[in-house]
Amino acid sequence: MRQLKNLVHGLRSLINRQRANGEIDEEIDGFLEASAAHKQQNGMSPEQARHAALVEMGSRNTLKHRVWSVWWESAAENLLKDVQLGLRSLAKRPAFTLVALLSLALGIGANTAIFTLIQQVLLSELPVRSPNELVTLGDATNSGIAGGVDVGQYGFFPWYAARQLEANPGPFQGIASFGSFLAKVSVRLPGAAGASQQAQLAAAGLVSGNYFKVLGAHAFLGRTLSPADDSTPDTGAVVVVSFHYWQSVLSSDPAILGKTLTINGTPFEVVGVMPPGFEGLKIGLDLADVWTPSTMQTVILQKPSMLTPNSGLFFLNMFARLSPKAAADPHVRAQSQLWLEQQVHSMIRAGEGGTISAARQKEIEHETIPLVPASHGVSYLHDTYRQSLWVLMAVVVLVLLIACANLANFLLARAATRQREIATRLALGSSRARIVRQSLIETLILSLGGGILGLAFAFAATRALIAFVSEGNAWIALSPAPNATVLLFTLGMSLATGALFGIGPALAITRTAAQHSLSSSSRTAGGGRSKAARWWPKSLIVGQVMLSLLLLVTAGFFLQTLRNLQHQDFGFERNFLLLARFDARLAGYSPVQTAALHQRLIDRLSSIPGVQSVALAETPPISSGNWRSNISLSGYTPAPKENMNSVLNRVSGRYFETTGISIVSGRAISATDTANSLKVAVVNEALARRFFPKGNAIGQTLTIGIDSVKGPWQIVGIARDTKASNPRNEKPELMTYIPLAQIDAFLPADAAAPSAPKQENQDRYASFILLRTSGAPSARIADLRAAIASVDPHLPLIDVSTIGEDVARMMGKEELSSSLTSIFAVLALLLAAIGLFGVMNYNVAQRTNEMGVRLALGAQRQNVLWIVLREALLLLSLGAGLGLPLSWAASRYVRDQLFGLKADDPLTYAGALIVVSCVVLLSAWIPARRAAAINPVDALRYE
Amino acid sequence: MSVKNQEPNPSAKPANDLVQGTLEMLILKTLALEPMHGFGIALRIEQISQGVFRVNPGSLLPALSRMERGGRVRSEWRATENNRRAKYYTLTANGRRALTAETERWATQTAAITRILEAGNQA
Repeated sequence: MRQLKNLVHGLRSLINRQRANGEIDEEIDGFLEASAAHKQQNGMSPEQARHAALVEMGSRNTLKHRVWSVWWESAAENLLKDVQLGLRSLAKRPAFTLVALLSLALGIGANTAIFTLIQQVLLSELPVRSPNELVTLGDATNSGIAGGVDVGQYGFFPWYAARQLEANPGPFQGIASFGSFLAKVSVRLPGAAGASQQAQLAAAGLVSGNYFKVLGAHAFLGRTLSPADDSTPDTGAVVVVSFHYWQSVLSSDPAILGKTLTINGTPFEVVGVMPPGFEGLKIGLDLADVWTPSTMQTVILQKPSMLTPNSGLFFLNMFARLSPKAAADPHVRAQSQLWLEQQVHSMIRAGEGGTISAARQKEIEHETIPLVPASHGVSYLHDTYRQSLWVLMAVVVLVLLIACANLANFLLARAATRQREIATRLALGSSRARIVRQSLIETLILSLGGGILGLAFAFAATRALIAFVSEGNAWIALSPAPNATVLLFTLGMSLATGALFGIGPALAITRTAAQHSLSSSSRTAGGGRSKAARWWPKSLIVGQVMLSLLLLVTAGFFLQTLRNLQHQDFGFERNFLLLARFDARLAGYSPVQTAALHQRLIDRLSSIPGVQSVALAETPPISSGNWRSNISLSGYTPAPKENMNSVLNRVSGRYFETTGISIVSGRAISATDTANSLKVAVVNEALARRFFPKGNAIGQTLTIGIDSVKGPWQIVGIARDTKASNPRNEKPELMTYIPLAQIDAFLPADAAAPSAPKQENQDRYASFILLRTSGAPSARIADLRAAIASVDPHLPLIDVSTIGEDVARMMGKEELSSSLTSIFAVLALLLAAIGLFGVMNYNVAQRTNEMGVRLALGAQRQNVLWIVLREALLLLSLGAGLGLPLSWAASRYVRDQLFGLKADDPLTYAGALIVVSCVVLLSAWIPARRAAAINPVDALRYE
Repeated sequence: MSVKNQEPNPSAKPANDLVQGTLEMLILKTLALEPMHGFGIALRIEQISQGVFRVNPGSLLPALSRMERGGRVRSEWRATENNRRAKYYTLTANGRRALTAETERWATQTAAITRILEAGNQA
């Protein structure tokens, strides 16, 4: 209550300062009058009485000030005055203010932008209950369908193992599984009039019935999936949709629950909508639109059932929720892991059947399933960008430090020129604290202003960065809008920045000024600056040289890495190739019909003018696709449990000719390899070298561990190695190519049930059309679409790209980190150059008088030039002496990210040193030349 | 005119030899009798102390201003006996409580000091 009254009082007197002032005056006047009247009564003359009363009171202004200053509002008023003063003094120096604000905005903005990404990509947790309890079983970033691996290896699990763990989670609160990749499915919306309505594509995820429960996520509308939905294969046609899908595709229909989505021709009932921001556990570039029970696998994946005990196909990733104890205590967690591993070991043993050799027993004992923390979800983005983002964060902090050093230097120089003003103010009774505070407020205005501009800059920069990272996909997982954490970060950054570059100069102001009388001339004031005041600017220059060197070396590393990556040999044609993804399943083609379709496509596309050759394949040369299996080879006996995994591809004739992958020996797959001729395969050099180092690969037979394409295949050629996904891979993947035309139309009959009807072979589809063009591939896109429409207007083209675009996308991350590092390094160099030039210029100006004297006494102009340059050289060598070892020490943090060069590459260091030296010497030389050109008489008159 | 130092000058102690911290208590005591204006308070303190304490406006007015903000006194503009406008200060309930507390504290302290001094005399 009293505080409130105090506040109201204070506000009233602040708003009406005049009235408050008048009241104080009136009270003082009244006091004086009464006092004088009293003295007069005691016998003084009116004159004397008045005078005595005035003497007793002392200075009227001091009294008023003292009365005023017991109120809180006086502090507020002083602050306001200081802010006004600061703004006015900044407005008087627009050039300085502009440079300061811009460099701060860039520095703080860059920090905010990178932090926004770090926060969203690396720090933000899943919007579920206690995300810190979530762990994945093994590395769940792996996606695809694997064969011939052990349970849990590479993070892959088969359905039966997942089922067992889900039913009996042991010490875990729960264990759940999900399809390791999203499937593109065709969806017909409820109420669509029959087949005439165009089907839409959506990304569908398969999940176990307890997925949402273990994840701790609740539905926004309706319910999530339950174990009852996921009980028996080919039942449970229900679907939960994402908020985004509900909003954008289902028009936020409030009555969606209970309606039917027709997915790949099968009706699914919508039972729930997930809340906004929920994207599931695994976050890739595609967001899941719908989730269905794993039991609907055959419909969703359009592949034969993998839900049999011995399908041998591993397509699930798994995760678990630790008990709260295990989440907190690593020992308990280790016990949980031990339990899990025992379960997995017994599953592997059960799967082996028969007797197990001692060596194999031992091997099984050694299989481990690490529990990987998944509180941030599972995303390859984390792994891809983690290191780059932290390096970038370090880089932008350095940039900001350089900007701070600059401003500190400018303010120090200004403090020196303000000595007379400060001395006057001190003499007039201003307190040192007040002057320091005023100077600090000025720097805070700058740093907060810079911070606000920086936020705007960061917003734009983050948007561009996100567009880059998301590779043009519709991406809603990242947002450039700063949230509370980011705003707090920026505020903290601004305040820290202000303190960093403001406190030193503010203290320097009063320290130097206090020692000088008003009478000293500018010359003695400048010349007599305290040691500390002369030492500071120089050490700041040394620091800037050091940091610039560090940044330039880093930028040099990344630029060379990028160049090496881009100029390496990928093993395929990189210019004249057009790729189109299509899906014949969605157009209703059965596996048996594919051969005719493929032939028609090839014939029709080959007739497009400007197209040199046409091929079809399951995967293009650049692909992270995972059609892989273990293989066995005649003439090679694998060591026990040797990794016999190979990436597979099924291709049409002319694939090698079209993609430009050269055949190093033997022959390519050709159009004459048909269903009726000998089954042939081409392997890559890496595979041939690994298994047949004597060069006798050709003629051997190869058998694949997937029944549908088992073989045997006779190796007829060896193709060059290619880089398929990671441009940094030094060790090429083993690859096996088989002809599309030779894949059987039906699966081999089940030995157990020979009378069962034959199943069609789903592995006969191709997914990509490849066109080798004679001109720019993008010019053929329209022809390609027209040609495909003429073959079958219902055949959906999912996307079309040129090989150049695919290479660029593969290089995206590399370009991001190297170009950003370089941009920031150039920015830092620019800032450092501005700072160096400013300080050198100021130093020379301070010494103009001295130069004049030297010249008048007969010094040569070269000597004068040399005096200035010598100082610059000294600072440069000091900075380099500290900066080179520092860069060398820091280089070990980026060592892993380099490609084609070592972290001690001397050229990089030399290059950085040369650039920094040029900048330093140039910024010293310009003012030095001016100093040397000065007329001695002018210089002496300079005062 | 020479430029005067605007900051309080530490060498000129405003409360004329008044024991530190007691000014507020004396003001409270004075106002306990009746509402008074600034000069009235100064005069009353000087008279009662028989001229030992002379309170000048330089310390009195800031003290009053502080006490008013502290809620121990409240003020209003009133006409004086000779028909001038003056700011009269009145003790609040809060001020009355503060006076009791300060008086007690003062009594304890002076009693203690006296005992110390007498003990010194006896020794």
